[in-house]
Amino acid sequence: MNKNILEKINRLINNKKIDEAQFELSKLGSEFYKNIDYLYLRSKIFFINKLYYIALDTLLIATEFEEKDKIYELIGKIYNILGNKELSEKMFNPDLRLEAINSLKKELTGISQKA
Amino acid sequence: MIKLFWNTHNQTKPNSEDEKIKEKQATNYLWGQYHKKSSDKWIYEILKKVKYNTIENVTDLKKEDTLIIIDSNVEEKSELYLKLNIVCSKIFLFHLGDEFGFSDLSAVYKNCNYIWRPFCSSAYFNHDKVKCIPIGYKSGVLDKKKKTRKYKWTFTGTPHKSSRHDLLFQFSDIKPFFCHKTEKFDVKIISVDEMNEVLSSTEFVPCPNGFFHPETYRLYEALECGCIPIVENAYKYYDRLFPNNPFIKVDKWIDAKPIVLDWDSNQIRKKSDECKLWWDKEKNNIQDFVKNKIIT
Repeated sequence: MNKNILEKINRLINNKKIDEAQFELSKLGSEFYKNIDYLYLRSKIFFINKLYYIALDTLLIATEFEEKDKIYELIGKIYNILGNKELSEKMFNPDLRLEAINSLKKELTGISQKA
Repeated sequence: MIKLFWNTHNQTKPNSEDEKIKEKQATNYLWGQYHKKSSDKWIYEILKKVKYNTIENVTDLKKEDTLIIIDSNVEEKSELYLKLNIVCSKIFLFHLGDEFGFSDLSAVYKNCNYIWRPFCSSAYFNHDKVKCIPIGYKSGVLDKKKKTRKYKWTFTGTPHKSSRHDLLFQFSDIKPFFCHKTEKFDVKIISVDEMNEVLSSTEFVPCPNGFFHPETYRLYEALECGCIPIVENAYKYYDRLFPNNPFIKVDKWIDAKPIVLDWDSNQIRKKSDECKLWWDKEKNNIQDFVKNKIIT
């Protein structure tokens, strides 16, 4: 059921129906807040709306729960736009991304849930 | 008679046996003290055109007094406001704090004639009884009016979340700059005197959003000290709060680099003067609005 809703929202985003997708996302409750696919879709909309840092923070939170290529790839895409090529390239490299993300989360507070 | 009562610092000391409640009490207590210590100059400046007597206790209120109350964590004080409403002819609340805006404030706000509060949200942009005000500057911040500004940019604060991290990454090669990173809000900070010295010697102040809400003290501290603020344009918050403001707005910090790097002294002076003039006018407008609401 959850998967169907999120797939529907993803289709809306891909069809550039952003307001509609945003409305559908806003209807989802707290049971989704740790769902990596939900966080990914929220980030995708933030990214489309040029809210780059909010998108990044959301993606960084997503990495706390699970590891998925699409999360790292969107982080890499955003860092490329922000002009941090080195960090962007590391995100696209499966051998370097984990160390890079952990190092990044150590440098900035307010994201990591782990002590 | 118009009386002013500052109530933010009169919070319950952390005494609950329930750890969660105790933690909340501790947060409210610390913020209550902080508002009293750090926001008094700002609030008194807003109230500059209103004549009032300051009282230390609500027992100093007499029937039919008009009350100006500066308070925080009001969501837990609905009974107090009910009682105040019985005694006072009018209540004007300056509701400080409330960055998250999660609490239901209706029980308190309904007992007030008018409310001013920082941390604006969609619920308050066009409210008939609530007006959003800037969170203002830290008490003691002032422009030392230096002839030259030796720092291109300054950042003091906690590098939380990705915006601040990227800001420091992008700006680190623009020299000379002043940067003082802290681990927590209001912990191991520089003194107000040092901050005055630094900001009065700075051309640009990047103002990344606050931890949860876009509002940040550093914007108003920059304006007080004649610096040019560069704000994040997320949700066009500042354009909604201050239509026609002169701030430099960016979606990403790399966009601000050419401005900080390449603007000549004339461009910088012109923008700085524009910001200063706008801020003085904005403060004057707020003072007039507050006076008119309270007096009439």
